[in-house]
Amino acid sequence: MAAAALALGKVVGPGDRVLDVPEQGTLRLSAGLTTHDGAVSSLKGGVLKSTRTGQLFLEGRQKRYIPAEGDVVVGVITDKHSENFTVDIGGPFNAVLPQLSFEGATRRNRPNLHPGDLVYARVVSAHRDTDPVLSCMDTAGRAAGFGHLKEGMVLSCSSALARQLLGSPTAPVLEALGSGLQFELAVGLNGRVWLCAPTAATCVVVANAISESEFRTPAQVKTMVARVLSRLG
Amino acid sequence: MSAADAQGVCVGDRLGTTDTYAAGEGVFVRDGFVIASVVGFKRVEVPAAAGELPQKPTLHVASRDTLPLVPKPGDIVTVKISRVAQTAAHALIMCVGRQALSTEFKGVIRQQDVRSTEIDRVVIYDCFRPGDIVRAEVVSLGDARSYYLSTAKNELGVVYAKSATAGAAMVPTSWVTMQCPDTQAVEKRKVAKLESLVSA
Repeated sequence: MAAAALALGKVVGPGDRVLDVPEQGTLRLSAGLTTHDGAVSSLKGGVLKSTRTGQLFLEGRQKRYIPAEGDVVVGVITDKHSENFTVDIGGPFNAVLPQLSFEGATRRNRPNLHPGDLVYARVVSAHRDTDPVLSCMDTAGRAAGFGHLKEGMVLSCSSALARQLLGSPTAPVLEALGSGLQFELAVGLNGRVWLCAPTAATCVVVANAISESEFRTPAQVKTMVARVLSRLG
Repeated sequence: MSAADAQGVCVGDRLGTTDTYAAGEGVFVRDGFVIASVVGFKRVEVPAAAGELPQKPTLHVASRDTLPLVPKPGDIVTVKISRVAQTAAHALIMCVGRQALSTEFKGVIRQQDVRSTEIDRVVIYDCFRPGDIVRAEVVSLGDARSYYLSTAKNELGVVYAKSATAGAAMVPTSWVTMQCPDTQAVEKRKVAKLESLVSA
């Protein structure tokens, strides 16, 4: 584990040997890492990071979203079948969202969603060669914020920014905006952020601030947001 | 072949009457006429006289010497899996029995036709992957898009599969697993029990 801690922040390219598998202890590998020849090696380019729970993963800029189990995503319903919805989540395959994977849904009482609606869902299973399966409930069966997203707008961003917005502590841009404005947002790891605010102007301001904050330091973000809020009046 | 046989026939050509000929493959009967339903060459087969009544010669139309081969219910076919979904695996039928087809037909292996036990607990992704070569049986002509296929017998299932990481041909290790010879990784498949695999 010490070796892993030392390697955090290391920039690697695809196929690089990241660190050797230690003799003792456990290593938990997530997105972009695999074992090969007794060492942990990378599947893509990126920076080695660790989640709060100790899983190692590679964070890199990627154009195409590849679904992974446990991700939260913002999807658009494209089709309604007898048993499930087809949802576009921006990945290689359209995902499948069973109609019964909503809190309180039964065969008689199905969710009232139509093609074009936005949903916030959790990826239940995602394999390389098949359609990902989504769910609008958490593992216990409660809604937990998942489900139909009404009104608002969707902003496209990179998966790295989305991970930052979802991480803890709260991203500086969201803290700064939250102190002055009222808005609702849902961040999808597929690079889509849903925003809803009482006025369109607020929505646009929040969207612009979020996109601009990606490559700025926390201090720069604070000054930028303060400037924008003062101009908003 | 005589000069008359060398002439091609077109769809809709009247080739004879039902008084003289019996209808074979590639033709249909309408208003007492035997009419061609495909483009090809006419061929007459005179069957050996069986019993006292002389049999009518059979009229076929085929684009080549061999009759067009089409899967029928009950045929054992060799298919290649093209797409794997939650409740079915879509496949392209490449051979019927030992003969390769000139055109590929679409087939689908539904969740309930994968095996004969515990059919509601089948996970298609643990049975087939895209690119696998599978031996299946045609259950029915299916719907407008594909034949319905079944692998619900011991001798039906995956006969050839490549491993996901190394791309090497995997070796079957049990009726539900195959192993890659390069990486030793084990993958799940619904493996066919071929005669060559069952050792003494």
